Parts: sequence; C-alpha cells; structure tokens
Amino acid sequence: MRKAATAHELPGTGQVQAKAAGMPVAWLELATRLRPYLYLAPAMICFLLFFFYPIGSIIYLSFLDWSLINLEEMEWVGLQNYRDLLADQDFRQVLGNTAVFTVATVGIGLTLSFLLALWLNKKAKVYGIIQATVFSPHIISLVSVSMLWMWLMDPQFGLLNAALEAVGLPGYTWLADPKSSLLSLIIVSIWKGVGYNTLIFIAGLQSIPGDIYEAAALDQSPWWRTLVRITIPMLSPTIFFLLIINTISSFQVFDTIAIMTQGGPINSTNMLVYYIYEQGMDFYNGGLAASASVILLILVGILTALHFLFMSRRVHYR
Amino acid sequence: MARVVLQGVTKTFQNQKVVKGLDLVIPDGSFTVLVGPSGCGKSTTLRMIAGLETVSDGNILIGDQAVNALPPGKRDVAMVFQNYALYPTMNVFDNIAYGLRNRGISKKDCKLLVEEIAEIVGLSDYLKRKPSQLSGGQRQRVALARAMVKKPKVFLMDEPLSNLDAKLRNQMRVELTSLHKQLGTTFIYVTHDQVEAMTMGDQIVVMSEGQIMQVAAPMDLYQEPENLFVAQFIGSPAMNIVSAEGRSDQLWGFRPEKALLLPASVSPVPADDRWVAKGQVVSREILGSDTLFHVETEKGRVIVKADTEEARLLGGAVTVTVAKPHMYVFDRASKKRVGRLGGREQAATLAGGVS
Amino acid sequence: MKRVGAISLKTAEWIGLLVVALLFVFPFLWMASTAFKTMPEVRQFPPSLLPESWEWSNFVRAWESGPFLMYTVNSIVVAVGILVLQFLTAVPAAYAFARYRFPGRSLLFGLVLVVLMIPGQVIFLPIYVQLSGWGLVNTLWSLIIPYAASAFGIFLLRQAFMQVPDEVIEAARLDNASEWRIMWTIMVPMAKPVLVTFGLFSFIYHWNDYFWPLIMTNSDEVRTLPIGISSLHMSDGGTLWNVMMAGNMILILPILVIFFVAQRHIIKAFVYQSK
Repeated sequence: MRKAATAHELPGTGQVQAKAAGMPVAWLELATRLRPYLYLAPAMICFLLFFFYPIGSIIYLSFLDWSLINLEEMEWVGLQNYRDLLADQDFRQVLGNTAVFTVATVGIGLTLSFLLALWLNKKAKVYGIIQATVFSPHIISLVSVSMLWMWLMDPQFGLLNAALEAVGLPGYTWLADPKSSLLSLIIVSIWKGVGYNTLIFIAGLQSIPGDIYEAAALDQSPWWRTLVRITIPMLSPTIFFLLIINTISSFQVFDTIAIMTQGGPINSTNMLVYYIYEQGMDFYNGGLAASASVILLILVGILTALHFLFMSRRVHYR
Repeated sequence: MARVVLQGVTKTFQNQKVVKGLDLVIPDGSFTVLVGPSGCGKSTTLRMIAGLETVSDGNILIGDQAVNALPPGKRDVAMVFQNYALYPTMNVFDNIAYGLRNRGISKKDCKLLVEEIAEIVGLSDYLKRKPSQLSGGQRQRVALARAMVKKPKVFLMDEPLSNLDAKLRNQMRVELTSLHKQLGTTFIYVTHDQVEAMTMGDQIVVMSEGQIMQVAAPMDLYQEPENLFVAQFIGSPAMNIVSAEGRSDQLWGFRPEKALLLPASVSPVPADDRWVAKGQVVSREILGSDTLFHVETEKGRVIVKADTEEARLLGGAVTVTVAKPHMYVFDRASKKRVGRLGGREQAATLAGGVS
Repeated sequence: MKRVGAISLKTAEWIGLLVVALLFVFPFLWMASTAFKTMPEVRQFPPSLLPESWEWSNFVRAWESGPFLMYTVNSIVVAVGILVLQFLTAVPAAYAFARYRFPGRSLLFGLVLVVLMIPGQVIFLPIYVQLSGWGLVNTLWSLIIPYAASAFGIFLLRQAFMQVPDEVIEAARLDNASEWRIMWTIMVPMAKPVLVTFGLFSFIYHWNDYFWPLIMTNSDEVRTLPIGISSLHMSDGGTLWNVMMAGNMILILPILVIFFVAQRHIIKAFVYQSK
C-alpha cells in the first residue's frame, strides 16, 4: 500500500449524515445550550425570590407608609421615612451603638485572634486541641451563649461577680447598667468569635511559604521586624477578609440583644437589626423599619463592594 | 468493526484552525497511529472521532454512518486515556461495568462480561479494589478492560503508555499489538513518540500543524519520506540536511546511519557516486551499540551514527561520505521530496519488506 | 541558668495554654454544673464548683415546661429539610458553573457571591411580607423555603467539581452516561468530603438559628428548639438558672457530640468560608 485511498474516492459517504442521529441536530444543539441554565434554574429562582426580589422590595417599601398588620394599605410617602428616621433620637443612638460595638468587637477581637494565632500556630497536638477549644463557642447557638453569659453576669449570683468579690473587687451590674451593658455584649461577641478568627489567621499563617522565614532568619532579622515586615504584609488578604466579614456580622448582631437586653436598659444596647425588628414586628412601623433596612443594606453593600474590589485586584496581580 | 473516514475535517478554536481539512481513511481492522509533535492536532483529531470535540467543518464517518451529531456514548467507540481516567470512587468491577449499566445491560450479563474481560487482562483478583490501591500497570489494564468490555467498533487511545515507566511501556506495547491481532478491531492510537508509532502501527499518519504530512506503512515512512518534515521527524537521530551542491533551490538530506566516517588521513577514493565532506568531530554520544558523532564539516554540522568500535578521537579530523543513492533531494520552497541523488528510486523494492 | 530559664518559660506557656482553654471551656462546664444544682445551691455564695446532689429533675422540668418534643421535631425537620433542598439545588448549579462555558456565566456566579456576602437580616421584612402574601408565615415552610438554595454550598461544590479531571468525565461520556448521570454517579461521589463538610455547616447553622424562626413563627406548633429554650428564662419571676441551663444543655449537646465526632470536618467547613 503506497498511499491510502483518499476519502473522496469513497462513494456515497456524503449523504448519510443528515439522518444519522436519532434526533434532529438542531434540537440536540438547543438542548445542549440550554442545559447549564436548566441546572442553574432551581438555585437561581430561589435567589431571585428570596434575595434579589426582596432587595428591590425593601427599597420600594422604604418609600411607603405601611405596617405588617394591614398589608393592603400602603401609601407612597417619598422620603418621609428617611426624614423620620434621621429625626428619631433613638435611631441616632442605635447608629452610635452599632458603631461602638462594631469598632470594639472587630478591633479587639481581631487583635486578640491575631496574637492567639501567632501563639497557637504550632505543630504539637496540644495546640490543635487548644485551637479546637477556642473555636468551640463558634458552633454553639447564640441562644445558649447568651443565656450562659446572662447567668455568668448575674449581678447577685453570677460567677463573674463571685470571682471579682473573691479577689476583693466590687461586683459589677453588667447588663443592668446602661454604662456597662454594651461592653457586656461586646465581651460576649468577642468570646464567641475569637476562635473562628484565630483559625482563619492560622490558615493564613500556614499559607506563607516557610522559606521566606528562613531567609529572614539568615538575614538575622529580629522577630518584631519579621512580624511587621513579613508576616503582617503577607497576611494582608486574610486581615482584610476578616475585617470585612467581622464588620458585616457585627452589623447583624441581634440574638444576644434579643435575649440578654432587649435593647435596654434605656436603649443602651439597641442596634440596627434589633431596631429594624422592633419597628417592624413590635411597633408595626413598617416604613421606618424598611428605611433602616435600606441603610443597613447600603452599609453592607459598600463593604461587599470593597471586598470584591480587593479580591479582583488580588486575582489580577497574581 | 468499522472503517473510519475523515472528510475535510476541520477544528477551529477561537478563530484558530488547529486541524485543517483532514482527509483520511482508517481501514477496518487497522492499527493506525497518529503521530506528530505536540500541538500538531493529533489529539484533537482523535477527540473529534470520539465525539469529545465538535467538528467545526467536514464529516466523520464510522462504518457508513456519519457521526458528527452523535454524542460520544452513541458512537460505539471506546477510549483509553493518558491518565487512565478511572472513576476513583468505584472499584475495579464498577469501573468496568459502568458503561454496560449505562446501556441498560442486565446485572447478570454485566457480571458475566466483566468477569470474562477481567480474566483476559488478568485483573480477576482485583475486582474489589479501588483504583488508588492499584499500580500504574494495573490501572492501565483496568482502563483497557473498561474499553474492551463494550466490544466497540473502534478503539481510540490517547498516549496511553506515556505514564508508565520504560520497562512496563515496552511490555504494554507488545501486549497492545497482540491484543489488536486478537480482537481484529480498528485501533486508532495517538502518540508523539515515533518509536511507539513505528513499532505498533501498520498505518502511520504523520501530522504537523493540523495537517497530514504523510500516510504510510512504517518502513515506507522511513525509506520514502514525502517531505522534509517526515524525513526529519521519523528516524532517530533526525535526518541530516545540508545545502545542495550547485542548486540553490534544493536541499539534500541523508540519514546519520547511512553515512561513513573516515579518518582524514585516509583519503577517500574520489568517486562520482559519493557525497564527501571534510570536518572535525566536535562531540560524541555513546549509546552503547552505536555512537553518535557530531561533526562540524565544511558543508555544515551533521550527525553520523557509527559502531562504537569506531572510536574516533574528539577533535580529530574526519571525512564524512554518503553513497549518493542514500542522499534525498528536497525542493527548498515546497519542502517536498523530489527524489534521490543518482536518480535511483528504491521505493518499490524496499517497501516490500513491510507488514 | 539558661536551662532553668527555658524550663520556666515552657511552664509559663503551659499555664498560659491552660488559662486560654479554661476561658473557653469553663463557661460550658459551669453551665453543666448549674444544670444539675438545686435552686438554693445555685444562689449559694461562694458558689460550689460541683453540685452537691445531681438534680436530673431540672432537665425534666425544662423539657416539660413547653412542647419540647415538638420543638425538637420541628428543629430536625427544618434543618434536615433545608439540607436536602440545598443539596438538590446546589449540585446541578455547581456542576453548571464548574463544567460549562455559557453566556452569562460570570455574571450569574457574581450574583451567587453577592448572595454569599449579604446576610438575611437585611431583607427579612420583605420576605416576611412576601411569605405572608402566600399564606406561608407561621408554617414550617416559611423556615425552610427561603433557605432552599445556599450560595455557600454552590461555591464549595463548584470548587470540588472543578478539581475533577476532565478525562474522567470524558470517559463517562464515552461510557454512554448522560450529563445528569455523570453529575450524580461520578461528580457527587467524588465530592463527598466537601458535601460532608457543607452538610455539617448547614445543619449546625440552621439548628442554632434563632432569628429566622423568631420572625416567621408565633405558635408552638411550628417553633424550633432555640425559640423554645429562649423562652425558658421568661417563665416566672425569679430566674430558674438551673432549669435554664438544663434546657440549653439539650440544645447544645447534639452539636457538641457532632463537634467531637467530626471536629476536623467542622473546622474545615467554617474556615473554608474564607477562601
């Protein structure tokens, strides 16, 4: 065989193809093209119904005067809800509380977590056990965490005051005093969240290549310079991620307030989501609740946008 | 069992043609090897036959049926992948049986068929194992068994041996050849390794840049390359190419094993039937039975393959001579082979030794 | 000298570790201890570390102070129902994102990431309005349906599916498996570790959830365990800390058991969020 016969020499091969497949080609192609959308449809419909539509809806609702008692009657009031909201003394306090709470929990929480991570990021088994221990409050319901701390903070019989008195310090009123109530909630939030943040920090630390540290050691870099010049810069994506996530979750704080203080005493622990809940579900002031929700949405939206911006840049430079 | 026909088959990826209008007949029962450097479109061609890539233009026929619109599972072909592509969560039995089950074959028949195949490839004792518990060679066998159990019209193999070590690869090469004889099914085998192609195939398709360079039996390919590409691709080391004497529109080439190396002191008998070049040995590679001499000559750098016993000193002056019938002549512009020096065409006589 | 210094540093670190551990474990131990005490002992000063007599009756009182069996059943129905639905919606969606190229893919995936970032607390009001329009408020459906799709689940599974080698899927295609069959018989088994991880995350989250059932329900028949437990401290005048802690033990015990059994998976599930 010098050379194989070329395909064109074969008779009758051109015409067979049209009826080859059992189904018309066009139909098959259409099915193939639609398939990914079909697979996405269930999830996307859920998101549409319970996420994107509600986002549009909340913005619309913030321009109406309405309440949950009678959903039939809704009246367009324009920006009136926002005016009322900003004029509301309580709401200003709510914003202030939320800000203080957020700065304190995120600031103190992340600092503590970072230090813990530096300490606990070691191979030996003990450190793994301690990591798990520190993490454990994170998976416990906030209901239990809140009730447990109410008990620990009980002014009369609580363990915290008993401990303070045992070392000769005066007891504290904790949740009952407007001066210390917000601080008490901050302590609880930090206690619950520190383990999660520590683990994320540890994951971040472990992703830093070891040879960088070896090089630094060869250069006789002192530990603090290694920390400031190598560890923290290398960890900046993790730090940024945690800042965003923790800030968003601080804005959301609700369970601890609802169970421990109901926003009191004298509004000292009332924060955004609890305020929205109270206005909407208890005081039937839907418009006010909706406009407060929109403000929360804007805050969270800005943080999310920052996060995406940062992520896309990171991807870009990699 | 079926012949496979490609008519003007073209594949375009993002406006780039990676396969350019292939016309090819793969005869029923042949062991056809698609060979070429990476990126030549051989794998894409195979994947189009399998149905894993769509055909941008042209037709593919398996048997007498055009399969362009058929999904891979309905083409009655089986494929063995480079990385075996076993289902890691299934044991060996389920790996082999998966395709049968998808065709609605009853449990009982499945069991019979799988056990029969497992016996043939020597996997009977491993049916309960997961792929992760098998050696490379055993995984390869599972991949083969999975292909064989479907009794396909055509076997497609995409560099199936490249993940094995050298020894196992040689062994599998022999096994695959005898398997092909035993089954008598059409095999289409893709490789970048010309040794694999030459030893296993009975029809070799050399490809480059999406085009077929030559289709021929192994010996023909070696003896009678149709163009510069095939001449340099087939054979190891590659054919030496030198400028033609007295003709600027031509290039001459000779195979390293057809050249003779003489010490400069021995002046060659001047003869019309020889091509002669004086030069210096610049380096040598000892392969064991043979030695490769890299010679810097007045007519360019060439490689000469010679017996190891002919140990020449490095840097020694030598003369390279080639009998003119062993000098191939190529057209410089079209890269096509024009003939041989001395005008003697040996093709007809030498091609007889094939098959 | 140096040697002694090294030893005492080691000791100091061990003490430090112990303090850290106690900081996070002791409150739970205290909860357990209180749960077994009598009310007089709870009020005793200085407090006793361990209960004098083990009052199992606190648990009975907690359990009988409301329809706790119903709460528990509801909690399980909700958490498992959500898990099943999320699984069913996430698998095809993740498969589409991981395995197909189609117009609008990155836009749709961007939307999933937005869902991942923005918490439900922001939009509970319109969802309430919507569900009440459908007459679903104060039913178990209102607790389940809004969570039927999980952005986190889609995100995680997509990562897992992307790691499956193309060749394995192609082999399955040649084995005449339909896309649907490939998804469930090849991809899902290969993503099992990730599915376990995600399942634990989802179950824990919804088992613990207090906010959503509080908003959506107002009758015992459809309330879940966290709501039931949280109402314990509002029962009568003086707070019955022992009964309250006993009730909370009921709530957290299943989670702690899961945590001990699958600690590595759970930690992975929560840490994975950061990627």
